[in-house]
Amino acid sequence: MIVTRNLLWLALGLAILIALPLVVKSSFAVDIFIRILLFSFIGVAWNLMGGYAKQLSLGHAAYFGLGAYTSTILQIDFGVSPWIGMVAGGVVAMLASLPIGWLCFRLRGPYFTIATIATAQALMLIFLKFRDFAWGAEGTTIPNLGSAPLMMQFEGKAAYYYVVLGLLVSGLTITWLIERSWMGYYLVAIGEDEDAAEAIGVNAPRIKRDIYMISSFLTALAGTFYTQYIYFIDPATAFSFNISIEAALVSIVGGIGTLWGPVIGTVLLETTSALLQSWLGGSVGGIQLTVYSLILMAIILWRPTGLIGVATEAYRRFASRRPARA
Amino acid sequence: MWETLAQAVINGLLIGGIYALVSIGVTLIFGVVKIVNFAQGEFVMIGMYISFFLSSQFGVDPIVSLVVSMPVLFVAGVLIQHFLIRRVLGPNDMPQIFLTFALSLLLLNLALMLFTANYRTVHTSYSDEAFHLGGLYIPVAKLIAFVVAMGLSGALWIFLHTTDLGKAMRAASQNRDVAMLMGINPNRVFCVALGVALALAGAAGSLLMPFYSAYPFVGQVFTLMAFVAVVLGGLGNVMGALVASLMMGVAESLGIQFVGADSGLIVVFAMLLLTLAFRPTGLGGGKAR
Repeated sequence: MIVTRNLLWLALGLAILIALPLVVKSSFAVDIFIRILLFSFIGVAWNLMGGYAKQLSLGHAAYFGLGAYTSTILQIDFGVSPWIGMVAGGVVAMLASLPIGWLCFRLRGPYFTIATIATAQALMLIFLKFRDFAWGAEGTTIPNLGSAPLMMQFEGKAAYYYVVLGLLVSGLTITWLIERSWMGYYLVAIGEDEDAAEAIGVNAPRIKRDIYMISSFLTALAGTFYTQYIYFIDPATAFSFNISIEAALVSIVGGIGTLWGPVIGTVLLETTSALLQSWLGGSVGGIQLTVYSLILMAIILWRPTGLIGVATEAYRRFASRRPARA
Repeated sequence: MWETLAQAVINGLLIGGIYALVSIGVTLIFGVVKIVNFAQGEFVMIGMYISFFLSSQFGVDPIVSLVVSMPVLFVAGVLIQHFLIRRVLGPNDMPQIFLTFALSLLLLNLALMLFTANYRTVHTSYSDEAFHLGGLYIPVAKLIAFVVAMGLSGALWIFLHTTDLGKAMRAASQNRDVAMLMGINPNRVFCVALGVALALAGAAGSLLMPFYSAYPFVGQVFTLMAFVAVVLGGLGNVMGALVASLMMGVAESLGIQFVGADSGLIVVFAMLLLTLAFRPTGLGGGKAR
């Protein structure tokens, strides 16, 4: 019963999301929807490792950037379609996560977090420094081919919206599948207490390595999409620390280690940011992250389970007030 | 060649003294309170702005303004421990990491809103002065900063080893549970640790002001440097952090001299990654968590 009802709700939600760009024609609004879907997807990718296994990375920009650069280099230097480049970027990110993980997983807790920041920053410096290889600090624009769906270039924003909606749906499906598999339980066990998990026979290093690979792969797909969407790439945007921050932030605000947490967190944060921008006209630098950090602090101090936790609590209180069904 | 090398080493040691003030703070907080303060660099930034405004409004020398920036940040540290950090101390890493991280984001972006992204500098009578020793060149402002930084580190060492409160802090850092059983009040010790650490960061900011520009993002470099130094020096080890900071100053300066102007940070990251690969418990051995 409950399963079919949930499925119905899901189908309804998906139908609304598919219909949305057909109804809303404002390109400003569609741009905000795309940002929400994109950062939800990045948050979902982060959440697999950061949320379920509590490996709190602040270096996911490394994989976002690797994905973006791989597909762009393949497209500009070799004429390969970004659709293929996207998967190639994912594979590059996945391979890069092996040595990076080997280094970073030697540390636990906050020092793991620091090591991930350092690796992402180091990658950005490498791309800034090697001009011949990847255009250096100036970056490059993606040649505009007009309407070329095979090269991931579309007229109008609606098509981009469907691409990133597809990414988010697949990210959520992967999370849902992992959550229900033995791997999901292992991840949660590692997140609760790594030593205890190892003591009962969980191969923590292997599980952490595998989930880091999956998480990096997905983050890289977002990198390719973003570059194709804004037609521009440079080390400062591709490896931006803000990407790493936002990936973690949306998951924590929404509900860390939950399927829908990153989506709910992104809807709140991006809507807030859009409202602030239309209200202040983007004239005051720093206001967006000031507000984000206040929200983050409030969540950590008062509701560490995130908005999902708040909603479940409210629902329980509401449900317990109703007389029990006969 | 030897002169260039010696000059690079001197430059590195002088700036390394400032890094030391920041990393000693980070390692002190980590040792005593067992949290990592992601916002440490932002307190350096605040120290710099305090000195900048005292200098531009009242003509106070940036180094003299230590007597304002240190107490202000000490109080800030006590308040932050008492009202924020105390609430997230527990077995769970997530709130601890992201609370100080949120604090760092908040301070940085508030500074961006209030002071804009402009670079602020203070020009003192000794900003351009330098000693010439043989063929070597020692800028006065950096020398003063280094000497004061070492003096403050020495004072901290004496405080930790001779006073009751200092001994209580070291006890709490060695074994928190036993220290509590011996009647040490944890929150009081933690408040002092945060206060001292932030005061050191504030001092670093004031000392930097005669030869460095203040801008909202200035703290990030110092936070990163401090993290690397704290890993290199062994987590929670004050002397280790001091030595590692000086080493990193030198490494950065050699990188700038012999690899290229913008490769200082690359050298630092390389040091961090190599340490993680070969000596994850720090150069001195010691115990990583």
